[in-house]
Amino acid sequence: MFETGIRQLRMAFGMAWGYRVNPRNVERLVEDALATLAEFGEPGADVGQLTEGPLSDPEARRHFAATGMRRTARRLAARSPFYARRFAAADVHPDRLDPADLASIPVTIKRDLIREPRAFLCPDAPPHLATRTTGTTGRPAEIWMSRYEMSLWPALGALGGVLRDDLRPDDVMQVNISSRATAAVHLDVAGCRLVGVGCRVIGMIPPDEALDALADTDGGATLLSTSPSYLGELETAARRRGLGPADFRLRRIDVGGEILSPSLAAAARETFGVPRVADSFGMTEVLPVSGRTCSQGHLHHDINLGLVEYLDLDTGAPAAPGALATVVITPFYPYRDCMPVFRYDTRDMVRRLPDDDLTCEVSGLPATGPILGKADHLLRTGPGRAVTPRELIEAVESLPTRPWPARFRATAEDGRVRLTVPEAAIDGFGHAAALRHFAERGLDVDLSLVPDEEAAALRPLRCDLRETTFVARPALIGA
Amino acid sequence: MTTPILTLSLFELCVAMIGALATSLCALTYFRRVRIERPAIGTFNGRDIGILFVFLVTLPTLYLLLPRWALTGFLALTFLASLSIGFRPLFSPGPLWLGIGVLLGANIWIARTMLGTVAGWQLFWAENSVVVLLGAVAVANLYVQGGMKLRHVAWFALLLAGYDLAFTAVVPVTNDLAQEFLGFPLDPSMGMRMGFDNASIGLGDLLVYALFTVAAYKAYGRVGASTALGLVAVFGAALPALAPLLINFVDARTDVLVPAQTWFGPAAFLGYRWLRHRYGRERTTQEFLATLAPQQMPAAVPAHVVAAPAPQPAPLEPTVSR
Repeated sequence: MFETGIRQLRMAFGMAWGYRVNPRNVERLVEDALATLAEFGEPGADVGQLTEGPLSDPEARRHFAATGMRRTARRLAARSPFYARRFAAADVHPDRLDPADLASIPVTIKRDLIREPRAFLCPDAPPHLATRTTGTTGRPAEIWMSRYEMSLWPALGALGGVLRDDLRPDDVMQVNISSRATAAVHLDVAGCRLVGVGCRVIGMIPPDEALDALADTDGGATLLSTSPSYLGELETAARRRGLGPADFRLRRIDVGGEILSPSLAAAARETFGVPRVADSFGMTEVLPVSGRTCSQGHLHHDINLGLVEYLDLDTGAPAAPGALATVVITPFYPYRDCMPVFRYDTRDMVRRLPDDDLTCEVSGLPATGPILGKADHLLRTGPGRAVTPRELIEAVESLPTRPWPARFRATAEDGRVRLTVPEAAIDGFGHAAALRHFAERGLDVDLSLVPDEEAAALRPLRCDLRETTFVARPALIGA
Repeated sequence: MTTPILTLSLFELCVAMIGALATSLCALTYFRRVRIERPAIGTFNGRDIGILFVFLVTLPTLYLLLPRWALTGFLALTFLASLSIGFRPLFSPGPLWLGIGVLLGANIWIARTMLGTVAGWQLFWAENSVVVLLGAVAVANLYVQGGMKLRHVAWFALLLAGYDLAFTAVVPVTNDLAQEFLGFPLDPSMGMRMGFDNASIGLGDLLVYALFTVAAYKAYGRVGASTALGLVAVFGAALPALAPLLINFVDARTDVLVPAQTWFGPAAFLGYRWLRHRYGRERTTQEFLATLAPQQMPAAVPAHVVAAPAPQPAPLEPTVSR
């Protein structure tokens, strides 16, 4: 009790004054949280302060953001060659930086990271682990992380996970993400270690093998961490094998990195017997800032660890509620120290929601609608008219043929969407019915078909980062 | 004229028995009916007992070193904090602060103006005893509802047994403290006056009795509480009060000071071991609450306990790289 209070104070002072947070201190808080749950069965009443942060007051939020931003900019001006140059060019003085002046600093884009990665490295934080983006949205970028970051992030994540009941010591987590996503795998493994959760990292193996591991009702996983496209493959394979909720012990599925459609989420809930599929936002370049989807489907970015801006796609100015915006993120120092970014444009599109209308369980945090896809994949079909990748994915995945994961190619031609899908996507449903299906969803589609064997070439998906085993040869699933 | 030792012992027995049992029973009643809000993370552990013990060992020295005005201020602050935390779930802020103000203000006023007569002394002790009882009830519940286990209390009492003996018989700190507090505001003990004689029992002793009773009830239910109350009555009140009939505890100032924890600590520890041996491991708070019928469930009233500044952890997400 007393020492937990001292630990919390140490952590809070570090955060308030911008000192490095001692990862071991946070790890001990995880142990304290587990002891609290063992004694009381639940955390104390003000747990929301810990999990969501104390930033429900807009004025406190603005002050916190301005302080964090200045502190981060000060360090970058002194340590990061890329940002020293960039701030000098923009005539920005970190000590006097005001949130209103942010527009004078150009956003950082993935191309910057790819072109001169070493210029982003800060010499006072030796690189320890490199992770590469998967390249599904272009050439991969390589991000380096320090030992400090790789110790701190899982500790922070584990603390939040325990307090929100996302992680329990008797859980077993199955990780079906690419084994090459070293940071993501490390975070899962280290987080599980801190809580005492069993962790089974099996990568993107053939779905039937992953299902065999999941369907072990004795030692099967209770938590599944994967991508929506791989979940689609698992769902398809489970239905083919006639598996249902009684065959699994799962209590939670976490997906991220791609768009999860409501139809796939509903099917997964039904098949795997979980109350909810948690759709989270995570991106290597802006770690440890992340985002969670609440029970009402809003996306809440974590504003305690970084500054999150929503910039209008057309003007680059802060987006008004309802407008299409790209998410721009600045992870704060001291949470990011090795290869930090400032105003990183994720190109993930969202529509901002008005703060006052929120009634969800995390209404203290600002919210947007779900991720709509990459801004570069937006199809402009006419003046003021655009089709987002989410609209297309939701439309394809809600076809009665259950073509999970959705494989398609879409282009805008003459004010219409030219949509190419594999034959299996409308097999037994019909071309005309498919057109009506899309029209009912507001999509004026010119539909064309390709043979199923060409499906994988239509759109890269994470599930295509297949890792082979000697048990089974890879097979294409989905249409 | 000195009062015979038998009369003194019987007087002390009455004061100690009433004080010990009233405090333990009030703490138990509070525990069954009121829930103090606890912080999001944190439960008592063995190291906390170590911290508490070190604090307790150093506190008397601080008391003796402080000037009178500072000591009164320190005691007022201590009672203010414990009463406000403990009784916030029961009263709205206005009546709560008014009540605390009246209790502490009256104590200081009585101590400064009415100690010239036996009746004045008796009024002072009565009022002071109420303040001390309420403080002990609040702190005992704060600790036990914060996760302190019977095991912790038993070890704490055992440590205090050694401490009490050493600081009464070897280094007379306790004797000096009793002299230092007597007749001044907010004396941390429950007591009464009869003629020229004062009999009292210290706040630290009362707190340990209340902790032991409440923790035993949480751990083992009615049988635990009954065992604890029996041990408190016999080893916490009766034996220390009657011990001067057999052992000479008279000090240089002819005061009779009995180290109560020296009697109670070993008995409490053995009592805990017996309960554990007889009934198995003690229940957690979660298990205790699960045994309560819905109508017995204490209302979770926000206590607005001042929480440490909150850290802001990130969620553990499957941070799949894009």
